[in-house]
Amino acid sequence: MSADEKKPEYIQFRYPRSYPYYHALGYQSKFAHGLKQRRILATKCPECGRCTIPPRVVCPMHHCKQEEWVDQGQRGRLISAFKIHFPMFNSRTGELTTWQNPIVAIELEGGARMDGWCEETDTDKLKTGMLLEAIWRPDEERQGRVDDILYWKPIPE
Amino acid sequence: MGERIAIVGVGQTHHKSRRPDVTTAELCSEAVERALADANMQIKDIEHVIMGSFEPADGYHIPDKWIMPECGVVGKSGFEMQNVGTTGGVVAAAGFTVAATGLFDTLLCFAWQKMDEAAGAFGKGGGGANEYWTGQFPMSPITNFARRAYAYMDRSGCTEEHLAMVRVKQDQCAQRNEYAQLKLGLTLEKVMNDTLLAWPIRRLHMCPTTAGAAAFIVCPERAVSKWTNKPVWVEDWFTCHQGGGLTMAEDPSASTLRHACEVVYKRRGITNPLKDIQAWEVYEPASTAELRWMEEVGICDDYTAFKLFEQDKVGIEKEIPFNPSGGVTATNPIGATPIVRLVEACLQVRGDAADHQVPGTINRALATAYGGQGENVVMLLRKSL
Repeated sequence: MSADEKKPEYIQFRYPRSYPYYHALGYQSKFAHGLKQRRILATKCPECGRCTIPPRVVCPMHHCKQEEWVDQGQRGRLISAFKIHFPMFNSRTGELTTWQNPIVAIELEGGARMDGWCEETDTDKLKTGMLLEAIWRPDEERQGRVDDILYWKPIPE
Repeated sequence: MGERIAIVGVGQTHHKSRRPDVTTAELCSEAVERALADANMQIKDIEHVIMGSFEPADGYHIPDKWIMPECGVVGKSGFEMQNVGTTGGVVAAAGFTVAATGLFDTLLCFAWQKMDEAAGAFGKGGGGANEYWTGQFPMSPITNFARRAYAYMDRSGCTEEHLAMVRVKQDQCAQRNEYAQLKLGLTLEKVMNDTLLAWPIRRLHMCPTTAGAAAFIVCPERAVSKWTNKPVWVEDWFTCHQGGGLTMAEDPSASTLRHACEVVYKRRGITNPLKDIQAWEVYEPASTAELRWMEEVGICDDYTAFKLFEQDKVGIEKEIPFNPSGGVTATNPIGATPIVRLVEACLQVRGDAADHQVPGTINRALATAYGGQGENVVMLLRKSL
């Protein structure tokens, strides 16, 4: 390369985007209606008896129709917990966000499993198998979204 | 029964964290040209093309529209696929399946990811993959593998030091691979004192973001000898999704890898995987996953893999040559990563893996793909059928 030939300057452009989507819940609408009434509903497989969240028309393992809905109660046991120690992109805003509360996986009284936020922020106080209880948004704020359950709170046995 | 098929050419880019000097199409061309050269072919010799990327991870949609012209494949039969981290795996599985029909003499398969172009990929492709069920959670490979590692340690007795041993082994392998991105000279202390992301996952435990592409060319048996005298035969492949929960609240240690391997081993009469398979390129998005994956592919009993690292049995010249390329924690152009695994497994079978070649004859190699929260593709390669 001769002295008067410069290395090319490569260019990148930034494109922020935000588009609305309208996703149908279909059969799972019953789950969303349940949340409005502070109920956690799961579908039950008639073959193996397993309850699943997200609810499904068909059991993913046994391929039979799941017509029975089972109220999973307000409590469950902790399967795993982790806290995020760094800013991550929030899928709803596209912005880097920090989170103080751990994310827990819970096995509910009815047998189905789901994820949630834990009210206890000190992960040293969280143990596999401990009992947790759902803390709900107030009646006027619930919309049938999964985050109608604000937190899962450790409770004494 | 379909045609017997073999891979006749492979190529990959030198993987880097940033490639502002090329477009995605130009990046793909680098890998495609290397695969064509490896097969002594020109693009005019290709009859069918399958390509893919994990679209949220670089933000191009309908990418085939932009990439096909640059790679010289306009007018050829073909299609594009995407399936999170498994993308390259489903591209390969589709390529094998189409090749086995015998409809085409030559198939080009490639995948790419330019992750330097979409900083928030996992905001959209992680928690945002299904807004109703996971939108509120900052789900990503980091949170996925934090949960899996938590469950693994809880059940096995594995410590943070064991996790660091895995990462150091991966780095030692990567340092011998000219195509790998991260070559860091790690020690146990460096890994254990690294930035904590989500316990027990530290920054060094996670795969990097990579700009890279990989390609291979596959032919039915009748066309193989025209292009190469070192074919790598595709003995079997299987791809499946997890039947459990979308939210990962299902058993966090569960995966379809064990199921996929069981299916393939049964079909091919493999009863002792460690003896019957001489090289492994298994898609581990976090170093911690390598432990569970070693158990699920049948190398050792459940919750014992960490002891193999304690006993120093894992490495290129050791008893268990697992991920001799350095694996995904060294290099992760996500959609292309499964094809990188396949390319590396082919090089091992051919004896062409240079400084990271596993010693001895590699009669069989296993490559896998992992994606989302439990999708898996298993690809079994052989030196001769």
